[in-house]
Amino acid sequence: MKNLDRLVENSARSLAKRTSRRSLLASLGQILTGAALLPLLPIDRTARAQEPARPSAAEQKCEYWKYCAIDGFLCACCGGTSTSCPPGTQSSPITWIGTCHNPADGRDYIVSYNDCCGKVSCGDCFCDRNEGEKPMYRLSRNNDVNWCMANSESNYHCSVSVILGVAEK
Amino acid sequence: MTLLILAASIAPCRAAAPAKPQPPPLPAEHLTIATVGPKSPHWVYVVDYAYNNEIDSRVWLFDGDTHRRIGQIDTGFIPGINLSPDGKTTAVATTYFARGGHGTRTDVVEFNDNNTLGKTGEIVIPPKHAQTLAMLFTIGYSSDGKFVYVPYLTPATSFGVLDPAQKKVLGEIDTAGCTLVYPWGPNRVSSICESGRLLTVTLNARGKETGRTTSEPFFNVDADPVFAQAVPLPDGYAYLSFLGQVHEIDFTQPKPAPRTPWSLVSGAEKGTWRPGGVQVGAVQRSLRKLFVPMHKGGDGSHKDSGTEIWVFDLKSHQRTARWPIDTRASGGAVAVQVSQDQSPLLFVATDKSHLLILDARTGKLQHDEKNLGQTPQLLLNP
Repeated sequence: MKNLDRLVENSARSLAKRTSRRSLLASLGQILTGAALLPLLPIDRTARAQEPARPSAAEQKCEYWKYCAIDGFLCACCGGTSTSCPPGTQSSPITWIGTCHNPADGRDYIVSYNDCCGKVSCGDCFCDRNEGEKPMYRLSRNNDVNWCMANSESNYHCSVSVILGVAEK
Repeated sequence: MTLLILAASIAPCRAAAPAKPQPPPLPAEHLTIATVGPKSPHWVYVVDYAYNNEIDSRVWLFDGDTHRRIGQIDTGFIPGINLSPDGKTTAVATTYFARGGHGTRTDVVEFNDNNTLGKTGEIVIPPKHAQTLAMLFTIGYSSDGKFVYVPYLTPATSFGVLDPAQKKVLGEIDTAGCTLVYPWGPNRVSSICESGRLLTVTLNARGKETGRTTSEPFFNVDADPVFAQAVPLPDGYAYLSFLGQVHEIDFTQPKPAPRTPWSLVSGAEKGTWRPGGVQVGAVQRSLRKLFVPMHKGGDGSHKDSGTEIWVFDLKSHQRTARWPIDTRASGGAVAVQVSQDQSPLLFVATDKSHLLILDARTGKLQHDEKNLGQTPQLLLNP
């Protein structure tokens, strides 16, 4: 037991000699700052689909409420759904967003429009709606650019619409 | 057996009929390749983005007098397209994938001879040219034709400066979040910013930045954004707002200067009648007229096609005509262009892929060309 005490004591003293309290605080600070910044960084929130897509009829119509600022081919008509890319494509990690009103619950939702990439244009269910859409100089609200631009396979195939949360008034 | 007898009985009759003189056989034909023919101010370059198969966009060269297609230029995937100042070259900033729809992305600026419609050269550029809606500002020339500018988007923003004579990239200039290229004069390039300002970079003879300025803000992106598809003016560009304000900007000085804005719509029309489409205006310089596709709509209707073309006098800012479009027959107007000669033609591309040709002085419809591509949304006139 005495030997163990000595070992711990020596180890603690050695650590204290090599580091300062200030460096410990600095390291902790870096970790905390990093943690605080994490939500601000673009994150690929793509979950892997567990089963084949079964889009509802509503998801295949341009009038569907979630599509209020979409511009492209609806993935729900191309082998995916309003929240899943068709098989064999890749989702874009960068997106534009819209704010759409859901008439069913009376709430406004922030919606992320991701492009699905790596194949030529789907060519079905073209939908161009522009509620709150802005020109290219406000990129985060622009639906004209090819959001597959940063993908390793940057061809555009279709677009999805994913609820991020309720819009705060 | 019956058939044999019948055939035998017919044969002598045919032989007995008086012989008709046979026309001479057709001469042998020679395969040739058509030429473009003499250039006309009534030519229009119709950019078809081909939404249903975007890797295969193209430009149709169309003659507004004979109403025929002269030929085609291939333009790849979501291109930027513009004409050289002398009208002799069509420059195309575009993307190709190594395996057709996939594979390694190569971005390139291709030069096409407008006398032959053949490709004459290219410059491979970094694989980040801005892929967006059809507009005049995704590639542009300096006024003397010595530089070509290509906006980049990764989504960080910058633009490339190219030397079309030496076929090489001279450099890249960061634009601090501002985007697109609005060239002016031999060595200035402006980009439009979210703050409502224009960032203007001045270049030296080697295409390197020597200075930059920022204009005063002239629009508010939240209250009334402007279309990025500005309309070229003799001394600058006009930016139309979603609600119909016209922001004319004087580009003749290093710091572009906004003039007092004016409105396309009356107080009663504001918020009801709006400009819209893709190419949202064109100016006939000698007539001093501005042509704008207009529609009735609310917020979010800024890409709706025009049901009428409204005509404005650029000096008095008065509307001088309203020309309704037969949208049921031809579709609504998504792009307008006008020729600069003494008998000017107004070209209108529609959302039913028609190209309408009107007398730009009277609005009289001269021709309705159907099926001009899939999604023609940009019109260029030499």
